[in-house]
Amino acid sequence: MHAESLNPRFVSTFLRADARTFHEWVLRRESQLIGFCVLAIIVGAGTYGAAMGTWSAPVQALYAGIKLPLVILLTTAGNGLLNGMLAPLLGLNASFRQSLLVVLMTFAIASLILGALSPVALFVVWNTPPLTAGTHETSPEYGFLQLTLAVFVAYAGIVGNMRLLPMLAQWTANISVARRVLFAWLAVNLFLGSQICWVLRPFIWDPNGPPRFIGREYLHGSFFETVFEALRRLLF
Amino acid sequence: MNETNPTPPQIPPNMPPPIASAPPISSYAPKPLGENPEERVPITSPIQAIEAILRQPRRVMYQLRQPGAGALMLYLMIIAILCAGVYGVIVGTFAGHDQLWIAPVKVAGGMLFSALICLPSLYIFACLSGSQARLAEIFGLVMGMLMLTTILLIGFAPVAWLFSQSTESPNWMGTLHLIFWFIAAIFGLRFVSNAFSHSHAKSNAGFNTWVVIFMLVVVQMTTALRPIVGTPPIAGATNTKEPFFPTTKKFFLSYWGDCLNVDSERSDRTR
Repeated sequence: MHAESLNPRFVSTFLRADARTFHEWVLRRESQLIGFCVLAIIVGAGTYGAAMGTWSAPVQALYAGIKLPLVILLTTAGNGLLNGMLAPLLGLNASFRQSLLVVLMTFAIASLILGALSPVALFVVWNTPPLTAGTHETSPEYGFLQLTLAVFVAYAGIVGNMRLLPMLAQWTANISVARRVLFAWLAVNLFLGSQICWVLRPFIWDPNGPPRFIGREYLHGSFFETVFEALRRLLF
Repeated sequence: MNETNPTPPQIPPNMPPPIASAPPISSYAPKPLGENPEERVPITSPIQAIEAILRQPRRVMYQLRQPGAGALMLYLMIIAILCAGVYGVIVGTFAGHDQLWIAPVKVAGGMLFSALICLPSLYIFACLSGSQARLAEIFGLVMGMLMLTTILLIGFAPVAWLFSQSTESPNWMGTLHLIFWFIAAIFGLRFVSNAFSHSHAKSNAGFNTWVVIFMLVVVQMTTALRPIVGTPPIAGATNTKEPFFPTTKKFFLSYWGDCLNVDSERSDRTR
C-alpha cells in the first residue's frame, strides 16, 4: 500500500484483497490505509445517506449524507478503546491501533457496499409515493422505505464483517477466537451505533417539521429504552 | 489322562498395543507460570501493569508470587480506584450536581469494600480446594481482578456517557451500568480463575461458590449505597438534595422491584 493507492483504482484492490493481504496491511500500520478507510466511509456512506434523504427534501439529503458517515466514525471512535481492550482479552494479539484499523476496514467495506447500493436506494426512493401533507409515521410508504433502506444497511454490515472473519482467523490461527472477537466487536458497535443513530435522527424524514440537522428530541430517551417500552406495552 | 502338551505353542503374551497418539497427561495441565521468559520481566510501573493485565495476564500472576510483589499490588489497587472513580464520574453525569462527586466515591469505595469483605472467604475456599496461594497473593489477584474490571469499565465509559445524556430513566441507566459491570466482571473473574488453576487447586467448586458470593455482595452494595445513579434535575422544579446513604435498609431484589413499580407508574401517567 502506497500513497498512490488512495486513488479510486485502489477500491477494487481493497475489495478483492484476501485475508493474507488484509493482515499484511494491518501489520504494516500504514496511515494511508486509515486515510483510505475514512475516505471510503465518507464517500460510500455519505452517498447512501444522501439517497435516503432525497425522499424528504434536498436539505434532508445533505444532512443525511453528512450524518451517516458521522454515525460510523463516531461509533468507531467511541468504541475504539473498548474494542482494543476486548481483542487481547479474547485471544487476539492486536494493538489498539490495529484493532481500530480492523474495525475501520470493516466499516469501509460496508460503506463501499452502501455507496454501490446508492443508485438502487435512489431508485427505491423514486418509486416510493412522494411525501405529502397526509403522510404520517405509520404510513405504509414510509414503513416500506424505512424497511428497505435498513435491509440494505444490514446487508452491507453483515458482508463487511464476514469479510473480516477470514483475516481474524488467519491472525489468531483459531477460528473460535476469531468468531469471539468478531462477535464482541459486532455487539458493542451495534449497541453504540444504534444509540448514535437515535441521537442523530432523522435520516429519512422528520415527521415533526421541516428538515433539521438533528431532530428536536435528539437527546430524549434511547433506542433500546423505546424498544423495551414498546415491547412492555405490547406484552403487558 | 496325560494329554497335556509338555511344550505349549509359542503364543505371544496378550499385551495391550502401545497408544502412540495419546499425549502425556502433563500436556493437559496449564503451562507453569514463568516458563516464558517474558513473564519473568518485573512490572515496574502502573502503565506496565495495565499493559500486562490486558496482554500478558500470566506475567501479572507470576509477578504476584515473587518476593516484593507489594509494589505491584499497590499499582493494581491504585489503578483500580482511579478507574472506578473515573467511571463513577460518568455515572454521576446522569444526575449531575452533587452526584458528580458522590457517584465516584461510592463506585470506587463500594467496589474496594466488596472486594475486601470477600477476600477472607476466597482465601478459605482456596485453602479448602488445595490451593497453595498465600493470602498476599490472593489479595494481589483480587486487586488484579478489580483493575481489569474497572479498566474495561473505562472502555464502556463513552457508551455509558452517551446513554446518560439521552435517557431520563434512572432505572434504565442503572440496568445499563449493571450490564457493563457484569461483562467487565466476567473478564476480571476469569483472570482470578486462570490464576487459581496455577495454584495446585484440586477443584474449582470453592472458587465458583465464591464468585456467586462476590456477585451478590456487589449487587447488594449498589443497594446499600443507593442512590448511585441519582435522579436527573427536573426543569423548573426545586431539586431536593439526595442523601449520601439510604435511610432504610433493603434487599436488592426488593429495591429493584420498587424501582420498576415507580418507573411503570410514571410511564403509565405519561401515556
